[in-house]
Amino acid sequence: MAKKVALLVGTKKGLFILRGDAGRGSWACDGPEFAPAEIHHAAYDPRDGSIFAAVNQTWGGSRVEVSRDMGKTWKTTKNPAFPEGTERTFSKTWHIEPGHEKTPNVVWAGTEPAALFKSEDRGETWSIVKSLDDQPSRAKWVPGFGGMGLHSIAIDAQDPKKMQVGISVGGVYTTTDGGTTWAQDNKIDGAPSERPDVFYCIHKLLAHPEKSGVRFMRVHEEVYWRDPGETTWRFSTTGLPSNFGFAAAIHPRDTSTAYCIPLDGRQRTASPFGIGVYRTRDKGKTWDRLDKGLPEGAPLESVREGMHNDRLDPIGLYFGTANGDVWASTNEGESWKRIAQYLPYVTSVHAATVD
Amino acid sequence: MLLHGAFRGFAGGARDVTLDASTIREALDALVQAHPTLAERLRDERGTLRPHLALFINQDDARLLGWEDAPLHDGDIVHVIPALSGG
Repeated sequence: MAKKVALLVGTKKGLFILRGDAGRGSWACDGPEFAPAEIHHAAYDPRDGSIFAAVNQTWGGSRVEVSRDMGKTWKTTKNPAFPEGTERTFSKTWHIEPGHEKTPNVVWAGTEPAALFKSEDRGETWSIVKSLDDQPSRAKWVPGFGGMGLHSIAIDAQDPKKMQVGISVGGVYTTTDGGTTWAQDNKIDGAPSERPDVFYCIHKLLAHPEKSGVRFMRVHEEVYWRDPGETTWRFSTTGLPSNFGFAAAIHPRDTSTAYCIPLDGRQRTASPFGIGVYRTRDKGKTWDRLDKGLPEGAPLESVREGMHNDRLDPIGLYFGTANGDVWASTNEGESWKRIAQYLPYVTSVHAATVD
Repeated sequence: MLLHGAFRGFAGGARDVTLDASTIREALDALVQAHPTLAERLRDERGTLRPHLALFINQDDARLLGWEDAPLHDGDIVHVIPALSGG
């Protein structure tokens, strides 16, 4: 059966699901679900078809919802909860990451206050990863503009015991033993200036889904690449129109290609250069601007979880904007088409490639 | 107890619950017994009532009557309301 794509679009007023036809040319929009709650992130789990949604609101508190039937029905999971002995309490979920295919019941969640939670029952219940929470360097973590969250969970393609997490502002931590121990992982190669040992404000850290060891990282004012065997982050920003940005994606098969959407560091939109997706095909050495079909000069904004890709061939790329648009490319970014508009502020886009 | 707005959804659509309680705290505990899905919607993991929750005893704001210690009497109606706020 030909695979299709369902886009999970989180907004500041609920979750929408855009269901594409076989050619990814037309899209039906369902939703909103959970409005007026903000959906910080929603993720599809290809292992069993579950959808997880980070539902964040003050009425009744934030929660994680799960659907086992592609959004027809939902169940509230038991909240991530901070253990006794700390004054911190669960405020919101920033990111949900289905675990490795070798650990079929494991799902990860990053929260605010910044912490990593693990589920071993497909997202029904969550337990804090105490080994990360006990890091002495946690005392140096401070909130970024959007709060203090753990928002990136990068699981190695081959070995589920190897993973990184990214924290704003707390840097990168790596485990090679499934989370029993962690080490700060902030050494850089080629950046214009040194970084503190909690690095800088990590904006998005991605693991290549097929090639072990490949990472792409969007930091507040830089982007970085890492190849297998490397233990530093290689500065890869030259060629981008600005240092700043949030949205990022990594090609799921090509091991040298990644995408990002630069923003102006002061205005936090794509002004003055206009919205455009930038692609590297050489691990960040050079960048090409891809904007065919995008509104010329538009000062749009796409945030941390704002861009994602499907797994078809050629891959589809998708990004959402603060003014409620969703843009799609079915030719790996060469041209773009708007597939939704007038949605609330788009906070996340996740492409589920489904049968 | 009479559930309003989002709290009805959190309780699986329940509108009201009749129970025995002498204080708001006892009433909330009994409410959660009747509808366990409300537990994490009413309190955080430290047991603190969540913000943006309004509780009224009949026409009176429970905050002015002792909040969780506010006494209840036969026939009282406790309203559980997602507090209107923002603007």
